[in-house]
Amino acid sequence: MADAHLPHRNRMWIALLSLGGAFLALYLVAGNLGWTGPVQCGAGDCGTVQASRYAWIGPVPVSAIGLGGYLALLVLALLGLQPTFARSRLVAGLLFGGALAGLLFSAYLTYLEAAVIKAWCQYCVASAVLIAVIFVAALPELKRTRETA
Amino acid sequence: MKRFYVLLGVVAVVGAAAVWYGTRGGGVAVVEPIELGDLNDADVVSRALFAWRGDPDAKITIIEFGDYQCPGCRHFATSVKPFIDMTYVEEGIAKFEYRDFPLEQHPHAFLAARASWCANDLGQDTSGPQGGDPRKGLPLVREAYWEYHDALFRNQREWSAATNASRHFNRYADELGLDGGDFRRCLASDRHAEGVTASLMLGQRWGIGGTPAVVVNLGDGRPLMLGAADFGQIQAVIEGESEN
Repeated sequence: MADAHLPHRNRMWIALLSLGGAFLALYLVAGNLGWTGPVQCGAGDCGTVQASRYAWIGPVPVSAIGLGGYLALLVLALLGLQPTFARSRLVAGLLFGGALAGLLFSAYLTYLEAAVIKAWCQYCVASAVLIAVIFVAALPELKRTRETA
Repeated sequence: MKRFYVLLGVVAVVGAAAVWYGTRGGGVAVVEPIELGDLNDADVVSRALFAWRGDPDAKITIIEFGDYQCPGCRHFATSVKPFIDMTYVEEGIAKFEYRDFPLEQHPHAFLAARASWCANDLGQDTSGPQGGDPRKGLPLVREAYWEYHDALFRNQREWSAATNASRHFNRYADELGLDGGDFRRCLASDRHAEGVTASLMLGQRWGIGGTPAVVVNLGDGRPLMLGAADFGQIQAVIEGESEN
């Protein structure tokens, strides 16, 4: 409890990583929605992944879901850094739950790339690594959800 | 905390710059035929892009409707066209026209056709044998077009199998010394989509169903559809005409 009034360092990491993830997802959204040219892929096989039916859920590109998720985590992490919400169990719970949901969704997408599409998109792999690190950074939030305010 | 917000600002600036850099081509890369509406034949002819080489006054015209992703067209480009060039085009007997006919089953064919016209835009030569002749309805076709055309067929196996063909198309432009930035911007846009689509429509109106499709116009207003012809068949038609 010694750090109760100090900013939570892990939330800073979550905010930084989420912002990076949001830009990554934004680039893919721009490619998916045709705002720009095809997604440029230095390594891997982005074209196959982006052209597969798994790149969209109905009318929504998967990358847009990722963008929304990263932005939500960013907002929550920044909120959790404010003194008012520093000890909020709701914010802690949402941060941990959001990171866990992102990790599970990303794991599912990685499984699809490996086993179904059989092609790798470098941006998707980078995003999977990012969300895994964010999840690790969000682990302390699980403990905070049990702490009394 | 201050250091954190500075760091957050740095990530924001770097991220925004990276996204801008990655998408700076702007516009939408058109990779398939566009909707041109109900055009009459004259409109289709006037909008259709085509490349040509040879003597603009040559009575005979050998026309190929081709698809850059079609293996038969690669064979035609590497094994038949050189004989046409040597025997008829360079001798001033006939001129050769290449018209795009990107087939639906070839996902990169339309983009490849657009890429060839982007290369034509960026060629340095502004006159010369293919300098264009508006009086005869012949457009300006630069040497860069034909160099790029040949590069596409020569490397067809490489980019045809790729899922991101534009990466290869960009590289061929770089190798030919074309302005890389302008080429990428052209490719990542809708430039020449209309001309290539009109060329496809023209072929369809002529009854072309596959590629390569050779049409020989002997200058008497009756184009002869030879389909996937080899040099012998083309020669037989032209020599037959010469004897008459």
